[in-house]
Amino acid sequence: MTFALGALVLSVSMGALSYFTTRHFLVSDQENQAVHDAFVNATFVSQRVRDGTKIIPVLTDADKGTPHSHSLLDRRGIWYERSFSVTQRAIPSSLRVLVSRGTPASQTYTYKGTPQIAVGVPIPHAVYYEVFNLSDLAHTLRVLALALFAAGVITTVFGAALGRWASGRSLRPLTGVSRAAVAIAGGELGTRLVATAGDPDLAALSLSFNRMVDQLQERIEREARFTSDVSHELRSPLTTLAASLGVLEAQSDSLAPSGRRALELLTADVRRFQRMVGDLLEISRSDTGSADVSLEEVDPGELVRRAVLAAHRSLPVGTPPPPVEVDPAVSGTRLWVDKRRFERVMSNLLENASLYGGGATAVRVELGTPFDGHPRAVRVTVEDSGPGLPPTERARVFERFYRGHAAFKRGAGTGTGLGLALVAEHVRLHGGRVWADEAAGGGARFSIELPGDLSDADDDEWLAHGNSAP
Amino acid sequence: MSSRILVVEDDERIRSSMRLALEGEGYEVDEAANGEEALERFAGHPADVALIDLMLPGMDGFECCRALRRQSAVPIIIVTARTDTHDVVAGLEAGADDYVTKPFVTKELGARIRALLRRVRPADDEPTILAFGDLELVPEEGVLRHKDGTEVHCTKTEFRLLCELASSPSKVLSREQLLDRVWGYDYFGDGRLVDVHIRRLRTKIEPDPALPRHILTVRGMGYKLVP
Repeated sequence: MTFALGALVLSVSMGALSYFTTRHFLVSDQENQAVHDAFVNATFVSQRVRDGTKIIPVLTDADKGTPHSHSLLDRRGIWYERSFSVTQRAIPSSLRVLVSRGTPASQTYTYKGTPQIAVGVPIPHAVYYEVFNLSDLAHTLRVLALALFAAGVITTVFGAALGRWASGRSLRPLTGVSRAAVAIAGGELGTRLVATAGDPDLAALSLSFNRMVDQLQERIEREARFTSDVSHELRSPLTTLAASLGVLEAQSDSLAPSGRRALELLTADVRRFQRMVGDLLEISRSDTGSADVSLEEVDPGELVRRAVLAAHRSLPVGTPPPPVEVDPAVSGTRLWVDKRRFERVMSNLLENASLYGGGATAVRVELGTPFDGHPRAVRVTVEDSGPGLPPTERARVFERFYRGHAAFKRGAGTGTGLGLALVAEHVRLHGGRVWADEAAGGGARFSIELPGDLSDADDDEWLAHGNSAP
Repeated sequence: MSSRILVVEDDERIRSSMRLALEGEGYEVDEAANGEEALERFAGHPADVALIDLMLPGMDGFECCRALRRQSAVPIIIVTARTDTHDVVAGLEAGADDYVTKPFVTKELGARIRALLRRVRPADDEPTILAFGDLELVPEEGVLRHKDGTEVHCTKTEFRLLCELASSPSKVLSREQLLDRVWGYDYFGDGRLVDVHIRRLRTKIEPDPALPRHILTVRGMGYKLVP
């Protein structure tokens, strides 16, 4: 586009410049020639008239040397013309006035559609005029203008095409680089630039770009692998610890009270340690992209009720289970979930509510706003009656090991610090979304939204496996 | 007489702690540090349940599983690193009945073992022989045979799964129900256990496992047995 505009401006200005220069040159050349010829003829006519020769033949003779011109003589008001086509009327009055004052002059003008130059030279007792026809010059100029215009059009079109081609060619690698950078930032670490043959600068750029991404990918993968390896390595001693503790627990009755208390502390923290290692492994799997999700079709209401029941079992004894309200509008909607992950999502949300919000007060299942082109969405909210979350912490609570001010106030180190991060991760794996805001009563409210389907009546029909359905 | 558990695990400390924990639960424990040793021990003194870590030096857990399965219908629990890999399905396909993930809680392991050791107890009003197609199931004897008398070998878990399906013919049983009745899991049990076992059963009793005639899948609901 810029190229086309540039070509247009350039060709227009070049064309205009050459046209006007040429025109100026040709016209002034013609004028000089005309003035010169007119003076020569004037001298000739003046001599012959003084010699007493008849005027018209003299004028005819004068014109012989200069084609395309006609001579006229004004002898004190009496006009001598040798042609009907060029009479005194062909001479502009302004020129006549000028010359009658005794000054030779010339003027370029258009008469009856024909450009011409009239030159007036005062001679003794008369004024000699010569009118030169410039139609040849006008024709030449017209042809020139046409040629220049055509050249301009061609230049513009050609320039535009050239510009397009050149910019496409020179910018294509850059477009590629920016596209690759966006993909890499989006997590597609396997993205690489295709080496471009031709331009050595660009080839070097792709090469160093790819090398940079290689290193970046290696580092990220090494870090993710490190987390995964550490967690893996921790599991063997943890297994021994847990199994041995189980043995001690079974015999706790025979321990002294202080020993029993120590055992309780140990057991609680080993359990927490186990969960932390499990969570870390789970998160590092998501980071390395090696998480497998096995989806099953479920009824949202039943899923949430069951998950709340299961999660409630792992909460401290004495916490009443939160009521689960399922909006009737949800029935008929089916979810595809990895049940194990969903159970963790619910238990982590309930545990979070129990640790920081005095326990969940309500769990709701309702229809959400469909997103990403899914026909339905199911929203599950968990509310508590705690102090709530300050707006600044609402997004940050999903970060790993993030501890909000509520966590500090409690001074409790009972959570793993990964619970909500894992919630976010699991929900993301389901193509859903999660957020925190304020419950109606001022407590914290966590909402997750999962993409759902309308249950199809046909699905409930008997279908034989793999095959020959009726 | 207490049940005998064979623990196959290369980490000596884990082995010792598991022995302590399982003995605490009243089981008799046999240990093996690798696959070869496990097969040897089992041949010398068969166990009631085998616990096999998938990551073993030399012969790996899968191979050990397959080898053990070739000679016995003993319930096998595999110990995997993680739940969400193909390891679980591969282990089940190698013949395992159930799995636990490391680090596991001893109580959980105890529950898994107890579930596998449970005997099939048909209700009183049930016939002693369940028949479908040209097959006969005798829950009391733990036998599956063709009408002509040739026996079909299957594992204890496969047998129990088949009993559950055959005792309510033409009725759909959800994966959750089957998980609960056969493995003792709740709603959040791993449905892959059922799927893999059904697949294995089909290869044993269906003329064409790809076009099953007896054990049918009911999409979104579960499985049913058609006589």
